[in-house]
Amino acid sequence: MSELLASALPSRARMRRTAPAVVSAVALAAMVAVCASLQSDVLSVGGLTLVLSATVPLVIAAQAQMTLMSVGDIDLGIGTFVGLVTVVSATTLVTSPLLGVLTLAGLIAAYAVLGALIHLRRVPSLIATLGASFVWLGLGLFILPTPGGSTPEWLASFGSWAPAGFPAPLLPILVVSLVVYLLSSRSGLGVRMRGLGSNPVALERAGMRPLASRVIAYTMAGALGVLSGLVLASQTGGGDVSSATSYQLMTVAAVILGGGSFFGGSAVPWGVAIGGVTLGLVSVVLSLLDVPSNMQSAVQGVIVLAVLAGRVVVGKVLR
Amino acid sequence: MNIRAIVSRPWIWGFAAAVLVWAIIMAISGQGGGQTVSLALSLAPYLVVVGLGQMLVITAGPGNIDVSVASIISLAGFVSVGVAASTGSATVGILAGIGVGVLVATISTVAILGLSVPPIIATLAAGLVASSVTLSLANGFTAVPDPGLRQLLNVRPAGIPVLAVAVAALTGLVIVLLRRTVYGRSLLAVGQNRRAAERAGIPVARVIATTYLVSGALAGLTGALLAAYIAPSADLGTRYLLDSVAVVVIGGTLISGGRAVPVGVWGAGLFFILLDGLVNLVGWSTAAQNLLKGGLVLFVLFLAGGGDRAGGTASRFRRRPRPAAATTTTTGDNTHG
Repeated sequence: MSELLASALPSRARMRRTAPAVVSAVALAAMVAVCASLQSDVLSVGGLTLVLSATVPLVIAAQAQMTLMSVGDIDLGIGTFVGLVTVVSATTLVTSPLLGVLTLAGLIAAYAVLGALIHLRRVPSLIATLGASFVWLGLGLFILPTPGGSTPEWLASFGSWAPAGFPAPLLPILVVSLVVYLLSSRSGLGVRMRGLGSNPVALERAGMRPLASRVIAYTMAGALGVLSGLVLASQTGGGDVSSATSYQLMTVAAVILGGGSFFGGSAVPWGVAIGGVTLGLVSVVLSLLDVPSNMQSAVQGVIVLAVLAGRVVVGKVLR
Repeated sequence: MNIRAIVSRPWIWGFAAAVLVWAIIMAISGQGGGQTVSLALSLAPYLVVVGLGQMLVITAGPGNIDVSVASIISLAGFVSVGVAASTGSATVGILAGIGVGVLVATISTVAILGLSVPPIIATLAAGLVASSVTLSLANGFTAVPDPGLRQLLNVRPAGIPVLAVAVAALTGLVIVLLRRTVYGRSLLAVGQNRRAAERAGIPVARVIATTYLVSGALAGLTGALLAAYIAPSADLGTRYLLDSVAVVVIGGTLISGGRAVPVGVWGAGLFFILLDGLVNLVGWSTAAQNLLKGGLVLFVLFLAGGGDRAGGTASRFRRRPRPAAATTTTTGDNTHG
């Protein structure tokens, strides 16, 4: 494995950085291969569209999680936040579009304020976002006590958009990952965020304000969360505050699968896209294999552990 | 005014909040407060037991959290009721519940230490496995909780539930464990600075393993008792994931690790239970309940502040601080005494 990688990639350091994503990519390829062998239609455009569509909101939410993890924080409220966005888009955005847009902008601002408070009061993001998740849930239930509502026309037409020749869900995944890549890896903003994650003292000595970095990261995460919620609403055709609760931990798993770390300082948008799609495909494989729905979450957990174990092994070989 | 000086007795806030809510309940309902306290004391112990386990895990330092407690509680509930029904002994049932907790925690521990999987993912995966088993067990589950145990849990001489006394004793045990035993001291040392603890010759891996196993065992115990008190169900433990973390935070345990406040878990536990009672009394919707709960956690969190580390929150999630951050960490720990 290591010789194979060495010939394909330039430097050892780069290799170490990309190896986790390579492991996830192998897992993804294996997952697609299994899908295809079970059901050959999966490899057609229609099949891929069907299989991939469920992973789009997860990948976008995982990019939000990745942004926060790059500054060393974790967001346990992203699942309910995405749910709250679906609720807003199913109610306010339909009845009075302007108010709906303002509400969504307000939610992004709330994320920025949360980030600022987390920084200023020096509280752990894990707990603060856990508390915030209650607030998102409460707000969502307040607006729409039971799942329902409708979808704005433009959003619904996006959800049912099916171009010929390539699977439509691939486009949002690639575009969002590209934008996050440009922002987090190829811009000054990204340097600030990753700097905060890897060495806040150095960031401060370099004359940049850690507070600003954190607020930027939270704003970006909030915006991605809103986007994820809109995409989810376009697919489900309604709002449900608890429709994305599993994202809380799935997004973290996707980031880790994609090569991110809990200790901040790294941004891996492409890895996250691979990790998110892999996790999404796991459930497809399981249903194709006729695994009883009871056992699906167990298998999902075991697969996550197995991929992570693979990462550890590859990491040891490289070191 | 220096916030640090006020928070020098961090456990006091949970109790203060509990008393405040109790007073509000009395004012609204206009009835004697004794009944309310008695009811709170019979519900809080379950939350306190699982909270104590979560507290130990969080004390083990940055990044440590046990998100499998909810699934363990649900699973242990079914297993203990099932075992108690088939063996006819409630004690064996409780032991089976604890055993299930330890078993699930073993999966997490192996993943954390053997595969270097971050705790949140390891416990999540173990929890997923547990919840799958729970769903399989729940299918066609007919056994009923042991009537003797249920009666025991409902015994309240002089208004004080037996279980509350037992859990108070357990809390005392945890305090002694943390203050007087090698394990407890090691856990605090690992939580304050894992690297320094390693260099000092503390078997860090063993301490971390013990901590997760204890948390699993306590969650299993909670599940066994809760299932006997209420009834086993697949979502028996759901609320305990968020609540167990919340009572630890509100209780004053240092969230960055290294300082545990077992008594605070009691204060915060009572506060949460009384708050539930108040919200039910007023007849607020679930939406308002969640808003209130979340707002309170955030309020307490931002009011108390995260402590003294100059590095900000980022340094807390790093297992091995770099030199610059390490110096600030040391000064931070000194202020805790």
